[in-house]
Amino acid sequence: MIQLDNVHKKFGNLEVLKGIDGEIRQGEVVCLIGASGSGKSTLLRCINGLESYEEGQITIDGKLVDRKDPSIRALRTSVTMVFQRFNLFPHRTALENVTEGPIYVKGEARREAEEHGRELLDRMGLGAKAETYPTSLSGGQQQRVAIARALAMRPKAILFDEPTSALDPELVGEVLGAMRDLANDGMTMLVVTHEMAFAREVGDRVLFMDGGLIVEEGPAERVLTDPQEDRTRDFLRRVLNK
Amino acid sequence: MQFLENSGRYLPLLLQGVGITIALTLAALVISTLLGLVWALMRYSGIAPLVFVSKAIVNTVRGIPILVQLFYIYFVLPEFGIDLSAFQAGALGLGLAYSCYMAENFRAGLEAIDKGQIEAAQSIGMKWSLMMRRVILPQAIRTVLPPYGNTMIMLLKDTSQASVITVAELTMRGKLVASSTFDNMTVYTLVALLYLALSVPLVILASYLERRFGAR
Repeated sequence: MIQLDNVHKKFGNLEVLKGIDGEIRQGEVVCLIGASGSGKSTLLRCINGLESYEEGQITIDGKLVDRKDPSIRALRTSVTMVFQRFNLFPHRTALENVTEGPIYVKGEARREAEEHGRELLDRMGLGAKAETYPTSLSGGQQQRVAIARALAMRPKAILFDEPTSALDPELVGEVLGAMRDLANDGMTMLVVTHEMAFAREVGDRVLFMDGGLIVEEGPAERVLTDPQEDRTRDFLRRVLNK
Repeated sequence: MQFLENSGRYLPLLLQGVGITIALTLAALVISTLLGLVWALMRYSGIAPLVFVSKAIVNTVRGIPILVQLFYIYFVLPEFGIDLSAFQAGALGLGLAYSCYMAENFRAGLEAIDKGQIEAAQSIGMKWSLMMRRVILPQAIRTVLPPYGNTMIMLLKDTSQASVITVAELTMRGKLVASSTFDNMTVYTLVALLYLALSVPLVILASYLERRFGAR
């Protein structure tokens, strides 16, 4: 569904992606792990067209991702994104955050959009918070609203950019739980994460990135318990001993 | 007693000037707000030619005294076939001059917004105009309103500069009445009080807007 062919990306002279190949298939949960600075978030942002890339190509269902082309907007509604810092709209309630895209981007009728929005908030365990503004929500609640916002576009896949990294430790579980439910419902997900337990339990596949390359990939269980590459082993040792 | 008596005589003349001062303030406020928004959005767009033009206009206009701009519009433009009435020239000149202060206010408000908001808007497929209307401007307006209120009051007072191009606003009337009666104290005290009285509704308007748009 999402196809990556030899993707290169530079920030000035710094090459952060050095030729990424890969595929995310329909219904798959793929976890992207690696040290900070390895290019994971950049890769995710390239897929959503938030960053440009210089070489190679990214396609979603065969359509080229080109952030300069107006077609990017349609692609973004089919592959939405959840951010590390939630990025909810602070001047809108939880429900309005969720219905903003359906009403103003997709032109859905307000009543249907609100009905669907309430369902999604319910599903995130936030039915009672529909009229609440983000500032009155905890980080975990905000992130679940953000997931509902991403779902409201009825996307084919969702990209998660370290969705629990900005959360207090006791709030991580509720967000991972919501993501686990999504995965069980068959949502296609690409998740940049440092939560190895989550990757192992929910992920179908794990990609390990280092220095702008995918160094190792395979079934989550295998990569995380029996890595073949030295760099993967080093990384996992460092992360798990923390 | 003398003051009140004389005031009664001068006031009708001065009040005519108040009408013009209000009209001039409102006209210049509308022009400067709209143009200021245009300059600020051009600058915020990040599109190189638009950014350049916006910067050039703001820095040029800001660097020339309002008085000189008014002279220029009223006395020089007619040589290029652009004939404006004194009021039109005043409204245009003040509107243009103030659009640059407005633009800088607006820009500050826009740039204070977290880049994550832009990314969130983009990630649900919003195009630029929709993002500005639904996400960026409603948030920017909160930061912008306090300095905006301040600028409105400055503009009200600066309409007195239009007297130099014969706009018969409050200051101009005051000068006329004072020079024909030699009662400088009464006249200029009245003029000052009238300006003060005019600024009160603006203060109320500003705080109303802050409540209206600042509430979550």
